Amino acid sequence: MISHRDRSAQRISALDERAEALHLKRGMGIADARAMHPSIDIVEADPEADRRLLEGLADWCDRYTPLVALDGADGLYLDVTGCTHLFGGERAMLDDILARFFQQGFDVRAGLAATPGAAWAAARFCGDRIVPSGEEEALLAPLPLAALRIEADIRASLESVGLRTAGAVMAAPRAPLARRFGSTLLLRLDQALGRLDEAVSPRLPVAPLSVERHLAEPVVLTAEIERLVEMLAVTLKIDLERRGEGARMLALLLFRVDGAVSRIAVGTSRPLREPKLIQRLFHERLTALEQDIDAGYGFDLVRLSVLAAAAFDMQQADLTGEIEDDGADIALFADRIRARLGDNAVLKAVAVESHLPERAVATIPFSEAPQRTTPPKRSDRKDAPPTTIFPPERPIRLFRSPEPIEVPATEMPEGPPMNFRWRRALYRVARAEGPERIAPEWWQKGEEDAPTRDYFRIEDSDGRRYWLYRQGLYGAGQPSPRWFMHGVFA
Amino acid sequence: MATSAVARETVFALRRQIAKIEGTLPERLAAPAGERPRARADGDAGGPESDIAPDITIIRRGLAVASPDAFLPTGVERLDATLSGGLPKAALTEIHGLETRNAGAVAGFVLSLVSLILRGQRLPVLWIGTSEIFREAGFPYARGLQGMFGIAPEQLLFSEAAKLTDALWVAEEAAKMTALAAIILEIRGSPQRLDLTATRRLHARAQSAGRPVFLLRQAGEAEPTAAPVRLIVSAAAAASRRTIAGPLAGSIGRPAFTVSIGKSRSALPGQFTLEWNPDEHSFEERREERPENSVAVVSASRGGADPAPAPGTVVAFPAVGSFASGDQPSRPQRPAHIGPRRAG
Repeated sequence: MISHRDRSAQRISALDERAEALHLKRGMGIADARAMHPSIDIVEADPEADRRLLEGLADWCDRYTPLVALDGADGLYLDVTGCTHLFGGERAMLDDILARFFQQGFDVRAGLAATPGAAWAAARFCGDRIVPSGEEEALLAPLPLAALRIEADIRASLESVGLRTAGAVMAAPRAPLARRFGSTLLLRLDQALGRLDEAVSPRLPVAPLSVERHLAEPVVLTAEIERLVEMLAVTLKIDLERRGEGARMLALLLFRVDGAVSRIAVGTSRPLREPKLIQRLFHERLTALEQDIDAGYGFDLVRLSVLAAAAFDMQQADLTGEIEDDGADIALFADRIRARLGDNAVLKAVAVESHLPERAVATIPFSEAPQRTTPPKRSDRKDAPPTTIFPPERPIRLFRSPEPIEVPATEMPEGPPMNFRWRRALYRVARAEGPERIAPEWWQKGEEDAPTRDYFRIEDSDGRRYWLYRQGLYGAGQPSPRWFMHGVFA
Repeated sequence: MATSAVARETVFALRRQIAKIEGTLPERLAAPAGERPRARADGDAGGPESDIAPDITIIRRGLAVASPDAFLPTGVERLDATLSGGLPKAALTEIHGLETRNAGAVAGFVLSLVSLILRGQRLPVLWIGTSEIFREAGFPYARGLQGMFGIAPEQLLFSEAAKLTDALWVAEEAAKMTALAAIILEIRGSPQRLDLTATRRLHARAQSAGRPVFLLRQAGEAEPTAAPVRLIVSAAAAASRRTIAGPLAGSIGRPAFTVSIGKSRSALPGQFTLEWNPDEHSFEERREERPENSVAVVSASRGGADPAPAPGTVVAFPAVGSFASGDQPSRPQRPAHIGPRRAG
């Protein structure tokens, strides 16, 4: 028996058959139940875990249809339109679902109907029933009002006027019903009867393309999975070619025999359709995830889906059969690194228009960088106006965040330091150039009052060159400036 | 004649294989004495170099060397002569910095080499580093690289790995690729994992792809390595800026590096002070500062003004060469390697 806290009282939220046989009911206080039967076993409810379990089941139901939606805390919608023939008809499919859930240890009730409302009612009030299209009314008529998916207060007020079954509500005139009980009631009724369309919003986006393979004998070995991926990718390639597309994001779904579903996604930095390359990407991903994927008793369904696709540019090969595109190798290499080590494993530097040194270059993941299939020509450099004839000298390495240094004294108030302490070591300044004043970007929000920086190029007594700055100015009434190490020169 | 040529080809092919397995540079192979005249009579075995080194047959064709010019000349005559032609292009090259705070100079030196490689090419450069080194020594700053070395931001790829194992894996995968102009792998310290086997793997991949792999070891110890060349780089005080009126007092001019050779199959240890010219993208040697070094190195290693006969004398060095060419220098020889480094 499971209890939950409701308005400062522990109440029964769920109970098993044996507890039911003891005349315990949902919503009953735990104290009352204990008084009736002191020996009952009470477990605290964990809605989070219930939710996770339901989501796991939804993942598993993905094997029947890509359109799986959660229904409250205890139900799942499966939109099986167009999928039933794959499993040998509606009845066979329903039996298969029920049998598999039963084997996993779940007590499941299912209903199949043309509308979500009718299916909901069939599952909860009739159990294991297939409602042919057009017979929703006959199904609903004898059922209690709860079968209409309406709120408890509407239900109570309907019952207070003597409408106790769905059939009675259907027979009543519509206008007074709407006026008295609100439009929700009629909306639910129309949806259940198929007069209004009701969309079931799937939990996961539906992949534009996916191929799958049911296996009579479950696979366990990673090498076998990789081989399956390649076989599936061959099928996928045909579809992609027909659509003139290549995959930008691929997901591999591994359905384990006991119901767990592993979802492995890889991204590509340019559209991809070559099975061998897809297999290599998944090889890296599977190698990286080797510890995390528990094959258990094996996977009996493997599905490869294209989550995102993009137009695939065909490239003309020259007479020797070579395609002039160095970028493809790099892109594949970057994808493999990314598949293994994560999105930020390969970075690309992009120049940004900013005079703040740390903002002037953005390092972004390779896959997000603007793709350039051909190397940039010399000519497009000329289009850019020359900024300055002598660009200011910039360090070759920049610290991610400027490191504070201790400066005991400067020769002049605004001048470079004579020595400084950085990372607990003392450096003597041999020569200095500067200052170069860099003002904050005062037009940015939150930086209106940021202090200015005076940068100095410093060479220490050993010949190492650094880039230091003083933040703020010396002056009365101002906090004394702080010094930072920002980068190193060659 | 034809059969002997075929036989000779076979011998050379086998020797190339052996050279590849052993990690010797195939360019330095000597032909057996009996075959030399015939090789020269054919006129094709030696290639263009056969006339400058009469007692060496240089093998250039085949798989072992991907590009016709196997060496990257630094442009500094004395250093090139000491390294007999420059740094090997299709190889792993180790570049050490004695302290992490030298990272700027070490990176600067490597980037100038990369800049020399990139001259006229638009292939990307991959810089792999562990998170630790990027945190300790700073992340490469594309603006500075563009200004100083002419490497455009779009040519730069960075890979940051949290673990050394991952960084090594990325480097090994990258070293196989010919679509990259150069690979820089930067690590800190002397981790156990980067041992002789790991460097040998990197070296073998670099050899087969024909691309240079620079292994930057900040604050690293000199350990057995498969790399044919190990250089130790530290910062040198920059010269003053040059103006029309003469040097500008108190200014910081072009970057300068002190480079000493820690390991090389052909060169004796030496120390050089190089200055990088960011405008022309070339190295210049600064000689006036340390004349005592330059004299010692040149006279000890070469002894001749003409660099042409230099490769010939290498053949006469088998004893020294075998010390250095082995990937695992035996205990007694190791101090000979690191000795000069300590001195420098």
